[in-house]
Amino acid sequence: MQETAARTTVEFQRLARKPESQARIVWRNFRRNRLAVAGGVVVILLYLVAIFATALAPQDYAAFNRGKPLHPPSAEHWFGTDRQTRDVFSRVIVGSRVSLSVGLVSAGMIIVIGVTLGAIAGYFGGLVDNLIMRFTDIMLAIPGFFLLLTAAALFKPGLQTTMIVIGLTSWMSTARLVRGEFLRVKAQDFILAARAIGAPNLRIMVRHVLPNVLAVIIVQLTLWLSFAILLESGLSFLGLGAQPPTPSWGGMLADGRVNMQKAWWETVFPGMAIFLTVLSFNLVGDGLRDAFDPRQRRR
Amino acid sequence: MSASTRNYIVRRILLLFPLLVGLSMVVFTIIHLAPGDPALAFVSEQSFDPTVVEQVRKNLGLDKPLPVQYGIWASKVARFDFGTAYTFNRKPVITLIGERLSNTVKLQALAISISLAVAIPLGIISARRQYSLVDNLATGGAFLGLALPDFWLALMLQLFFAVRLGWLPASTAGPEAEGFFEKLSYFVLPATVLAIPTIAIFTRFMRSSMLEVIHQDYITTARAKGLAERAVVFRHALRNAFVPMVTVVGNQLPRLLSGSVIVEAVFAWPGLGHLGYQAILQRDYPVILALTLLTGAAILVINVIVDVLYAILDPRITFS
Repeated sequence: MQETAARTTVEFQRLARKPESQARIVWRNFRRNRLAVAGGVVVILLYLVAIFATALAPQDYAAFNRGKPLHPPSAEHWFGTDRQTRDVFSRVIVGSRVSLSVGLVSAGMIIVIGVTLGAIAGYFGGLVDNLIMRFTDIMLAIPGFFLLLTAAALFKPGLQTTMIVIGLTSWMSTARLVRGEFLRVKAQDFILAARAIGAPNLRIMVRHVLPNVLAVIIVQLTLWLSFAILLESGLSFLGLGAQPPTPSWGGMLADGRVNMQKAWWETVFPGMAIFLTVLSFNLVGDGLRDAFDPRQRRR
Repeated sequence: MSASTRNYIVRRILLLFPLLVGLSMVVFTIIHLAPGDPALAFVSEQSFDPTVVEQVRKNLGLDKPLPVQYGIWASKVARFDFGTAYTFNRKPVITLIGERLSNTVKLQALAISISLAVAIPLGIISARRQYSLVDNLATGGAFLGLALPDFWLALMLQLFFAVRLGWLPASTAGPEAEGFFEKLSYFVLPATVLAIPTIAIFTRFMRSSMLEVIHQDYITTARAKGLAERAVVFRHALRNAFVPMVTVVGNQLPRLLSGSVIVEAVFAWPGLGHLGYQAILQRDYPVILALTLLTGAAILVINVIVDVLYAILDPRITFS
């Protein structure tokens, strides 16, 4: 008897509680996905490594170890040394800075440009929509990496150029997606209500539509973080990304390629770093997508 | 085909023309926005002479205002005249592209065929035995495949199969290669590298679209009326599961022409991607312009074809 009463009380308390916030629901769903959590932990560790890179690296990334060119991995040099006798492990650690910072800045740019254009096109429709989306079509028609290379080569190659060029040439699919979402949300009744009470367009876009599109945007952001890193390492590999002496994973692969027959460690370790980084970001991105919309979970 | 579908197709085709003009403007602007003087590519650094540079600029038409330059270029392009390259022994651009086109098409066609041959059965099996060992391996493998940087994969395969084992040639399309199998051996590594991410994409889509179809009522009906499982899967489920695949495969088709810059560069493959890379490094404007414009135009056309095909294949779609 007492037990039933207690259970009823608990039940009532549960019902009386305020509905859970979306953030909490998402976090709970995300936490259940062990792979996504593991990816998230690796991502946080990677950022920590990048921030404290110079303190963590056993050697200066540019320091020479006289008389030790192309030494295989050992207790002293975990990932061996390169042709110029530099410690590969230290260079991989410091190289994380290029990839992670380019990823962050480029993905941020892509989201800002893509969301702004997509929002304007989807919200206002008509001629503006038509112009923006046809421009998007045209930009999408130019092979992505080729466009990226052309832009990177024509301007002075370097870290900043890489960030800007990736941002300016990759926003199109995000703009398309956000436009579709804005169209979907715009058609709902609460937007009509907001309009009826005379809310200005900008306010409706930012306060009423955007929060309903946020899930899509966050997932896009994580996916672009990983894709921008892939693009950056590809550019650096072709010599059009970060320039020496700044160590970058793609650049190290290009250097190591020359000595591939004698020194496998120069191509294996930087590549693993790219692979693990991209993989972790993808795990987080997929986990977030499922957490935001459990119905859409890939079965 | 309904009237609205027909209208839609006509509209898509008519829209192509303004898009192509827009594309040519965008491409032209991007390339001419860049700082740096292509005329300098003609003058060696030792014999640098301002008057010579001026003359070169005049000969190339680079002294005229940008809209005029665009007009001249566009009217030539409309007649399929892409001019001569600044470098590459000053060959006509169209010849350069012609020489390399088939190498890229062959390699990409092989890669896409391999991807389809692997991914379609894998996706079907994965969906039919959801959460089985095969499914988990396929889904996990696809996830790993999407995170692999293609150039690193290329290097690792070269390291293992060409350098360590010596089974396969490490690079080049082997124009002097004799016999079918020797020629084929040059394709193995680059085609594998190109196929792996595509297999990952195709498998994921095939699996999810098959899963979607398999749980629908008409499949239950087909089973309930006593059809053999084989007939249910192949005749009823697969047909509808293939419809979304049209778009996914269609998205990959432009690669036939654009090629992969990075994979062609790693394997020294004499295709369009490699040509583009060299042209970019040498600031060879006519070649860059022609390549971007031609592949861009091809992509626009392929997109229309894919959308039209989709409209015909799936009569449920309505167009407003």
